[in-house]
Amino acid sequence: MSGMANQPTSENLRRKPIWIPPWGYAEGWMIVSGLLMVGFALQLAGGGLPSGVLAWPVNLYTALIFSALLTIAHLFGRSVPLFAWLGRVPATICSIALITFLVLIMGLVLQDDEAAAPWVRRLGLSSMTSSWPFLLGLILFLSTLGMATLKRMIPFRWRNTGFLLNHLGLYIVVLGGLMGSADVERRLMELREGELVWHATDRAGHVYEMPLALELIRFERKEHHPKAALVETGSHRLLSESKADLFEIDSDIRGHLGDWEIEVHRFLPLSMPVGDRYEPVLDVGAGPSARVTAVHTGTGEKREGWITCGSFAFPHRLLELEEDTALAMTVPRPRAYRSQAVLYTPGGTPETILIEVNKPYRVNGWTLYQHSYDDRFGRWSRTSIIEAIRDPWLPVVYTGIFMMLGGAVYLMFRGRKLIIPNTGETTRASV
Amino acid sequence: MLPFDPANVTIAAMLCWLVSLTLFAAARGNRTVKATGHVLYVAGILILAGLLTALWQFMGRAPLRTLGETRLWYGMFLPLIGYAVYARWGYRWMLYYAALMATVFLGVNLRHPEYYDRDLVPALQSPWFVPHVVVYLFAYAVLAASAIVAVRGLIRRARTTELNVADNLVQIGFGFLTLGLLFGALWGKEAWGHYWTWDPKETWAFLTWIVYLAYMHHRIQRPQQVRVSLWILSLAFVILLVCWFGVNYLPSAADSVHTYGRS
Repeated sequence: MSGMANQPTSENLRRKPIWIPPWGYAEGWMIVSGLLMVGFALQLAGGGLPSGVLAWPVNLYTALIFSALLTIAHLFGRSVPLFAWLGRVPATICSIALITFLVLIMGLVLQDDEAAAPWVRRLGLSSMTSSWPFLLGLILFLSTLGMATLKRMIPFRWRNTGFLLNHLGLYIVVLGGLMGSADVERRLMELREGELVWHATDRAGHVYEMPLALELIRFERKEHHPKAALVETGSHRLLSESKADLFEIDSDIRGHLGDWEIEVHRFLPLSMPVGDRYEPVLDVGAGPSARVTAVHTGTGEKREGWITCGSFAFPHRLLELEEDTALAMTVPRPRAYRSQAVLYTPGGTPETILIEVNKPYRVNGWTLYQHSYDDRFGRWSRTSIIEAIRDPWLPVVYTGIFMMLGGAVYLMFRGRKLIIPNTGETTRASV
Repeated sequence: MLPFDPANVTIAAMLCWLVSLTLFAAARGNRTVKATGHVLYVAGILILAGLLTALWQFMGRAPLRTLGETRLWYGMFLPLIGYAVYARWGYRWMLYYAALMATVFLGVNLRHPEYYDRDLVPALQSPWFVPHVVVYLFAYAVLAASAIVAVRGLIRRARTTELNVADNLVQIGFGFLTLGLLFGALWGKEAWGHYWTWDPKETWAFLTWIVYLAYMHHRIQRPQQVRVSLWILSLAFVILLVCWFGVNYLPSAADSVHTYGRS
């Protein structure tokens, strides 16, 4: 820290009576305890935070007023012990400890759990992010972060760039994320082949008319090859010995499972049962099947037959090897799924678009994500669920994120300051 | 199935380190013996790098999906960082600890080889997958080295100056931790629609990040309180381990989207 030599050392901080400026850790822990008590009291009295209060434009005003108040406090209130305290490291550590404590609870208690014990729910422990203690903790955190940032920002010096990228970046991310959360809109659009859909539903079940419409042309799911595995005949549970070496089924492939040597003669990615065998077809309901031989490596016993994991249209089939062991085909896992749809926007020409996992489509402030499909039908699903999300504060948060990315790189290249033994003084201003 | 057995390759790397460390201990100033030790130490790292490259080639996807695969990366990075710390600051003991810790993690892999199928679910098929995980594993390995300094310092009553190594490691590790966290946020936006959802893995990643943040600030303000710093540093690594492995077993993570694929 700059100007560290002018500050009281840890020794006389400890001897000083509490609440006599400058405040340090003792005052800090009192403030943190006070905030926790007030937070939990508010939580017990009034339940969680009222939702939607910070909707546009209240959130913008709140963010501006909060930042302005910190600036005024920094410029004109340095003689006030609280404001002086907020800009120094003891306050930083106390607010970090408070946030750590609350997030640790969040990390240990299942969130949004309807079945949580009543006292857990009443204290807001299972809905931490919308609880009063969490909000108060964040306000303290933002205040210390903001005050520390202002100390290095006014007047601006180039050597503080790294510090500012990290601290101002984090301030912008946390404040932008907190304020923007009320403006995030997440809605689901359930598309069916050939149907024009312009309404969407939110999580509470409210239906909205969207400023865009989608018509599903085709839902497409590509699959990985299924695997061969040994299972217990009765329970169909995978046998532990074969977990490590499930092997991928393909035509003309050999492998070992337990004591059995398996040979796949023919693999049909899309097939249907015809009598006792399976034939390749492309119809709705087709599923994978394979013709296999299994030879016991010890006794030389031989088993031969078809295995399939089945589909919604026909049942699975095992090849029995021993009394309680059988060879099975696992259900293939998805490799990719995507929706091809026509997008209609007001005043725009209809456009064919592709929405895929990890490749959302952006239009008029909305981002369209491939959310899910009807998994009862797997690759033959004719329904596709698209999630439409609007987050107007995203540019603010991303500004902060990119500042922090720059700050992180700076941190790594710059290295740590050296501490001179016995004096505690630092040779360079740190990040 | 793989055309080679990863276990044998892993054992080869571990043997390289074992022989190398034995040579270091027995060298007594003999330069040829020492040089052989160095060659073998680096060879162990290169063998693992070769294994990862071969797995990547064979599976057609980055070997970063299962816990077992992440342990392989860790087993490569940790001795690499140990060697770098030795080269930069001359701490010979770091070579021993880094190799020992890598051996423990690779040993777990010999007992639980939870790889290596080609499947990669759609959510992981993204350009962010490799940078997000590799940056994190590198950070974990650097921070493990700092934890080694911390535990050693607690046992041997370290003095202020000895923490300079830990500080440097934390500075680098924290930088990578931040990159991993932010890459994850940017990827999360593309894959799930939001940059931060307080998924249990995110919650613990945040905890890890903020405890190292506390360590750095505490070092700036109370450089003389060495033991407190060492305790924070040790605690931070415990939280890091919970984030990496423990989350899979926590009841609070029942619905996590981040649990490693277990076939």
